[in-house]
Amino acid sequence: MRIHQYEKLWIVGAMILIVGFIVTITYGSVGLGITMIGDEEETIAPDELNDDEQFGEPRVEQVGENEYAAYVVAQTFIFQPDPIEIPANNEITFHVTSRDVIHGFYVPGTNINAMAIPGQVAELTVEFDEPGEHGLICHEYCGSGHHTMEGLIVVQPEDEFDLTELSAETPDTVTSGEQVQLNATVENGQLEPLETTVDAEIGDQTFQQNITVDGNSTQDVTFTAESTQLGVGEHDWTVTVDDYEETGSVEVVSNETAAAEGGEES
Amino acid sequence: MTALFVDEYPAEARLVKAAFLSSFIAFGIGALFGIIQALHRTDIFRFIDSIKYYTVLTGHGVFLVIAFTIFFLVGLYQWAVTDSLERGSVDIRFTWLWYGLMAIGSLLAGISILAGFLDQPPMVLGSELRANVLFTFYAPLEANPLYYIGLALFLVGTWLAGIDWFRTWWAWRDENPGKRIPLRTFMVLTTMIMFFLGSIGVIVSILVFILPWSLEITESLNPLLTRTLFWFFGHMIVYFWLLPAYLLWYSVLPKLSGGRLFSDPLARVVFILFVLLSTPVGIHHQYMDPGIAEGFKFIAMTNTMFLLLPSFLTAFTVVASMEHGARQRGGEGRFNWLRALPWRNPAFTGMALAGLIFAFGGFTGIVNAGMNINYLVHNALWIPGHIHAQVGTATALTLMAGSYWLVPQLTGNRLVGRQVALFQVVLWFVGIVFMTNSMFRAGLVGVPRRTAEPQYQGFDYDVGVGSMGELNAQLALGGTLLFISAMLFLVLMLLTVFNNDSEPIVDGTLPPALSGPEDSPQVLDNLRLWFGIAFALVVLAYALPLAGIAAQSGLFGQDIQPFPVSSEAVIYFQFGLEYVGAFVT
Amino acid sequence: MHTSPAKLLILIALSLVILVEGRTVLAFFGINIPPLETALIGLVVIATLVIWAIRPLRGSPTKSE
Repeated sequence: MRIHQYEKLWIVGAMILIVGFIVTITYGSVGLGITMIGDEEETIAPDELNDDEQFGEPRVEQVGENEYAAYVVAQTFIFQPDPIEIPANNEITFHVTSRDVIHGFYVPGTNINAMAIPGQVAELTVEFDEPGEHGLICHEYCGSGHHTMEGLIVVQPEDEFDLTELSAETPDTVTSGEQVQLNATVENGQLEPLETTVDAEIGDQTFQQNITVDGNSTQDVTFTAESTQLGVGEHDWTVTVDDYEETGSVEVVSNETAAAEGGEES
Repeated sequence: MTALFVDEYPAEARLVKAAFLSSFIAFGIGALFGIIQALHRTDIFRFIDSIKYYTVLTGHGVFLVIAFTIFFLVGLYQWAVTDSLERGSVDIRFTWLWYGLMAIGSLLAGISILAGFLDQPPMVLGSELRANVLFTFYAPLEANPLYYIGLALFLVGTWLAGIDWFRTWWAWRDENPGKRIPLRTFMVLTTMIMFFLGSIGVIVSILVFILPWSLEITESLNPLLTRTLFWFFGHMIVYFWLLPAYLLWYSVLPKLSGGRLFSDPLARVVFILFVLLSTPVGIHHQYMDPGIAEGFKFIAMTNTMFLLLPSFLTAFTVVASMEHGARQRGGEGRFNWLRALPWRNPAFTGMALAGLIFAFGGFTGIVNAGMNINYLVHNALWIPGHIHAQVGTATALTLMAGSYWLVPQLTGNRLVGRQVALFQVVLWFVGIVFMTNSMFRAGLVGVPRRTAEPQYQGFDYDVGVGSMGELNAQLALGGTLLFISAMLFLVLMLLTVFNNDSEPIVDGTLPPALSGPEDSPQVLDNLRLWFGIAFALVVLAYALPLAGIAAQSGLFGQDIQPFPVSSEAVIYFQFGLEYVGAFVT
Repeated sequence: MHTSPAKLLILIALSLVILVEGRTVLAFFGINIPPLETALIGLVVIATLVIWAIRPLRGSPTKSE
């Protein structure tokens, strides 16, 4: 086969270029460690998501020192959870699946980019250097409301980030003379123990208690107020732990009222 | 001047004309949908509901990349086979049969898409007549079965077209024992081998999984499997769009430049490389997909990079042939020969500018193919930028330019408005640069593709240079220029068809290559061998990934419900709320 | 005429294309040209090309490349 001299040179040049591209990409994979989304994850049937340990409650959890996992479900036309709150300067591994059709998982302007395919779980690990808010959008056509499908990723400063959850409750009504019990539960989703202070206010009475919540566990705190001191009527209460606040109200009813109401009921 | 194609082969010319007519009708509708999208998504002029945008988007894709390109391809290839073998079809009724199947198929698919504009679509085959599933029809989004039936008929028609050309070639071979396959026929046959092999994926996907599922014969399917089968076909089809343009660049462009093709053997090598490599690369469309191991993505990446080689070879041969032509016309100097080229000829100028854009678009393709770089651009507006540079210009502009040369030979009429035609191809060139430049830049800041409203509530794009308003304006301007150009083309074609009392001024003869087929080894013409190697490469690239996907969640998936795309968004919200409710309680 | 209308048309098209793509390349190096200025440069370039093209050939024709 006769090939012109220039053409031979051209072919050699083209081959060098091609091999050069392959080497560059390989360097990106091996040298820089940019891994591709693979098939490491188990498959999961979309109709079993609600019973799944991880996707049943889409959330962010800590899985190691400076390592977090975010379980995200995409469905027409929302992401769960929303917003996704994560700390800066930590490794975040997103596990993304879809409840219905094929969706996208894309943070515009970054390399956070994956397909959410029903039955499959996409896994990708990223790290945000700076705190801030990033839009999260579905970038695969998923039906008539596709263009409305967006979420938010909130990157918090590392030292401000926590996975603390506060819940609190009192009875709705307390008969005068009995104690008003305010039960607060502090959940620490992080691995390190959480040392903090619980502040509470019932009516005009204030309480404070220092607690230590172990990693991945919960701690109950109970505050007790004397209803006689509070007096008959509606009293607001507040519990605060760090930036979290729960509020509610309790009604102290006089003995007669309680008896009368009780009488009506019986 | 030799006899015109229409006079020599009137029966075949009729078919080519019918195919071009179908192609141009699809082109007109597709172009109209294109400008609607360009104005809608940039929020410059919205006159349809955003839900109907997806009807427009589906139509734009299917009418342009399925109907326009492939109808043109079958017409062009029928001409190429007939003209280069100097014999007609073995049985012209068979030829009309495949054209008929393609026409019926595209009508069915087209009607089911256009029904998306109706507020009360009729019920057909047990469900609403709709197909807002885009050209990729990723399950579990579900269209009306008619859409899939239409696509299947169209594909069957295209298969039969390939078989028809093989029959013609076999008949010719018996009449001309020992002769090398003429170059254009060689290109047709290799393209069709590539198509036979690559379309297996989508045919299995439609006939075995999606169509029975949409008819409720099967209950579930595996979305990753049907998606992978689609892309098995999906990158081959890219070259199926491109190779008619290659055929014109190799056979017609050198002649229009005033010379001859530089090398016939290398043209054959290029087409063989496409047979070998265009299918085992499809996974590069799925770099971001879970469920496919990184290793398979790597293999697809290397195959894709080697697929650059035939395009590099083409760039050399085409430019060398043009230079040869220019020097025949008296061109001199290192670069001054460029001035001697027939720039006044719209057929030449269109093809040359299309080639220029193809080279540019090719480099953006390297970014897409670069596995880990793909994270930045996957499903961003960058991708349509690439597509519009390649199929939207390298192919479309070459086909339009080729029409200026070929249609007069098919009709026996002189081309109307040569100067307007020149303006038309140049306008397309400018329009595509305006539009794709904006798409590339917008894609890099993260504007997604395939959406009616890329404007979101919760955030703004971080546009480094300029503003979104500027990018949008540029995209819309480019789209408008392209639309005007497309309409000019169609008007010129229409006027030419009715320009009855005229004599065409084209010379249909194509000179032989400078370095002819006798310079190449006989093995290049051994189509069985190339098919065998191509088949083996496809098995190597796809057997394990497909087996893996089927093993993970089953051939028919895990109870995947269909999602008919309906204008009633309420259904979705009900469904969503049900689930949210389920997990809250 | 220094050139044919066909070549003038293509030169204008090429200059527009180089302007649009060149602007992007320059932005990559931190040089930003606002849209209005780009349009003005475009008009000037086109005007220059047209004047050059229709200027009659007289005396010693300068070779412009």
